[in-house]
Amino acid sequence: MGGLLTGIVLAGLVGCGAYIYYLNVLVTHRFEGLRWTLPAHVYAAPMDLYAGLQLSGPQLEHELQRLSYHQVPELDQPGTYRVTGDRIDVALRAVEFADGSRPATVLSVTFGPTGIQDLRDSTGREVPVTRLDPLLIGSLFPVDGVDRIVVTPQEVPPLLPAALKAVEDRTFDTNRGVDPLAILRALWVDLRSHRIEEGGSTLTQQLVKSYFLTNRQTLGRKVREAIMAVSLATHFSKDDLMNAYINEIFLGQDGNRSIHGFGLASEFYFGKPLSELDLPQVATLVAIVRGPTYYDPRSHAQRTLARRNLVLQILAQQGVIKPDQAQIAQGQPLGVTVGASGAYYPAYLDLVRRTLQTDYPQKELTEAGLRVYTSLDPRVQEEAERSLDAELLVLDKRHRRHRVNEKLEGAVVVTSPQSGDVQAIVGGRNVDFDGFNRALDANRSIGSLIKPFIYLTALETGRYNAATVIQDQPVNIRLANGRYWRPENFTRRNYGPVPVVFALAESLNDATVGVGMDIGLEKISATLQRFGLQKAPDQVPAMLLGSIDIPPLEVAQLYNGIADGGFRTPLRAVRAVVSADGKPLKAYPLQVTQVAPSAQVYQVESMMEQVMTHGTGAPALSVLPPGLVTAGKSGTSSQDRDSWFAGFSGGQLAVVWVGYDHYEPTGLTGSEGALPVWDHLMASIGTTPLALPPPEGVTDTWIDYQTGMGAQPGCPGAVPVQVGLPTGTQVPPMPGCAAGTTAGTTLFQRAGQLLHRLVH
Amino acid sequence: MRLMLSALVVGGVLTGCALMSPPPSFTPENSPGSEQSQERQLPPPPAASSQTAPQPGAQAPAPPEQQTPQQQEFTLGAAASALVGDAHTQEESHNFGLAAETLERALSIEPRNPLVWIELGRENILAGNPSQAYGMGRKALYLAGGDPRAQASAWQLIAASLRAQGRNDEAYTAEEKAVALNPN
Repeated sequence: MGGLLTGIVLAGLVGCGAYIYYLNVLVTHRFEGLRWTLPAHVYAAPMDLYAGLQLSGPQLEHELQRLSYHQVPELDQPGTYRVTGDRIDVALRAVEFADGSRPATVLSVTFGPTGIQDLRDSTGREVPVTRLDPLLIGSLFPVDGVDRIVVTPQEVPPLLPAALKAVEDRTFDTNRGVDPLAILRALWVDLRSHRIEEGGSTLTQQLVKSYFLTNRQTLGRKVREAIMAVSLATHFSKDDLMNAYINEIFLGQDGNRSIHGFGLASEFYFGKPLSELDLPQVATLVAIVRGPTYYDPRSHAQRTLARRNLVLQILAQQGVIKPDQAQIAQGQPLGVTVGASGAYYPAYLDLVRRTLQTDYPQKELTEAGLRVYTSLDPRVQEEAERSLDAELLVLDKRHRRHRVNEKLEGAVVVTSPQSGDVQAIVGGRNVDFDGFNRALDANRSIGSLIKPFIYLTALETGRYNAATVIQDQPVNIRLANGRYWRPENFTRRNYGPVPVVFALAESLNDATVGVGMDIGLEKISATLQRFGLQKAPDQVPAMLLGSIDIPPLEVAQLYNGIADGGFRTPLRAVRAVVSADGKPLKAYPLQVTQVAPSAQVYQVESMMEQVMTHGTGAPALSVLPPGLVTAGKSGTSSQDRDSWFAGFSGGQLAVVWVGYDHYEPTGLTGSEGALPVWDHLMASIGTTPLALPPPEGVTDTWIDYQTGMGAQPGCPGAVPVQVGLPTGTQVPPMPGCAAGTTAGTTLFQRAGQLLHRLVH
Repeated sequence: MRLMLSALVVGGVLTGCALMSPPPSFTPENSPGSEQSQERQLPPPPAASSQTAPQPGAQAPAPPEQQTPQQQEFTLGAAASALVGDAHTQEESHNFGLAAETLERALSIEPRNPLVWIELGRENILAGNPSQAYGMGRKALYLAGGDPRAQASAWQLIAASLRAQGRNDEAYTAEEKAVALNPN
């Protein structure tokens, strides 16, 4: 019996020893090769600052605040700025760009009446150009949602490890991974206060729990945790363990993204690097460690504040800080940023993800710590979101009569035509929703947005120009199936002979179908594909009225070519990808191919300017700043299911779609639905006017809008518009117009223009 | 070739530090307004006219007022100029990718300046990408209206990109155009 017992005990001991040995090997092996999987971090385009940039002091302050710089009376550390009269001094942080790094530096920006007047460094030397930090706009995290930013010990404020030790593990420096006394003390404190104020786990145990084990609370797991903690503490230095803890621990949840490590938590809660946190902010993070859901500073501010103040009290009691420091800090608000993260643009990230998926395996994107630099312009993105939201609210109220049980939806794409950079994407009204991305996936009928491409093709034949008179008359086309197609103008009336510019600007269906049938569907289809239409459209006559279903992003690609003078520049959201250690991996360089003669594109562009001054885009005149020359085109699909507007200034192209997800008629034309969003956006981003001299072979010419005859400003009875015509084109003058201007007529027309602006 | 283009461009840089006045344009203020605006408010149909479609070269009693393009000279602003200088330094160490990124920064500051496009095209030739350089040359030419010197530089770039692709006859024609525009 005794022998049997001894045998069992011995076997047990051997088994335990083997288990402990196994855990020891497991822990040391895995910890030695400790490497966190790091999601790719995605950055917005950094703003260039230079003398001459039209940016006011308050606008620069806004940009700095977006990057979580804060104003101080005297510059003390990176991430701060000081305002003195018309000068702003900025202590720029050390940052990594796609093309290199910049050390922390001080920059003085002086403002004049039109923008930045002067840039100087800390020695007073002139700086021709410099960049602000690239804004972190998100991560491409894996399915399990783990997101983190790894920090080195040098990036950790010394207060953080001291505070963690004081609050979570007072014997950290001396214990062997577990602290039995701490467990007893915690029990005693918790029993006295009837709530959990202290836990008994050492930092090492917490690290083991987070890194090696599941969340199941079983006795076996507790034993395993203790053995592994002892093993870790035996084999590794305290500094290593502390650094691992700071990078590993779970500190919050953001939808399906879990926030790990103090580096990311600092950005997530305070929008700035860990090294810049002050005492109350460090204390807040230490407070959150105890229960990131229970002490969520955004949803449970009071509870978290109380816990933070307790942390500060403990720090004072433990001598980590002075009592008066604790007292001052306890009076501070939590100061967490309002949103779950300062800049979260899921629709844009969606495009980034899709771009990268063609070049990188999923695992590399979500685990290799890549840095992805994009074209996103946070200022434009914000205004695009704001414009869509504000105008859809107005439209919802105005169009309640349609009794549709869903809200109007919309999408916006903004590009920089010259570079093809996608500056903003709004995928729907709920901009924080990472779901159906209308900008990329809503295939909607483009309606009259096709017309500029029909007229461009017509101009390319050499048989048409802006002044060419075409017939707007009833159309009756026999289709292949024997039926007849009889499209109508929006107003259900015909206008007879009209110049091309009038037909385009007023979006006449019948006149356009006539021209389209004359030049042939095949040619028009080829033009669209040259500009970037991905799939050849069905070559049926209805194509001429835009029966082509594509998403706003593809429309933006097509219109980008017109805005760019006939050059196709592939739209790009990603500019460069850099490895975790700063090595450039892939650049997405600008590409440009001429797809249409500039002369013809210029002429179409000049007609699209008339859309904005006289045609379907004219309601925008009252909203756009005076002098902002733009060109555009409205689009309305059959039964008003889709309301589009695509147009551009000298600096930006914006495409807006408004409609219902389930294709109910909206009762809105392109001018009524999408145009208000478009002009609100264009008026708010400080864009530059269209200003191009006519290319070789084209001459800007004044003609009458309604007859196409020559008519300079002031010509009685005429509505003179300036369009590009092939040089040498002779247009007959409007009767009575050859003599030039008369003051009375000019005044009359001016009054008409003013009235027009007042009405719209 | 590279030296020639650089000389043309850098010459432009040295002659000034800011863009000349912007190219001529018309604004809504210049265009008398009308009461016609939306699809729902079209003007009445114009009176029937026997006018025929005007064609290029067709004769008519009196031509309407036409605006001829104004002459101008493109230069680089201080910021773009500094970045172009940085790009040249990067090119010297054969870091063409970096140089392209620097030039794209210059382009974001002056997107419609043909000189920046010429620089970017030149960089593409150095990086062994002449077809892209060709596109950039065409783009520069499109933007350089009214500036014969910038147009000549654009034609030189086009010629260089064609030559690099073995299209020597076309390159020769492009060079002729450059010389015709700027015999110096």
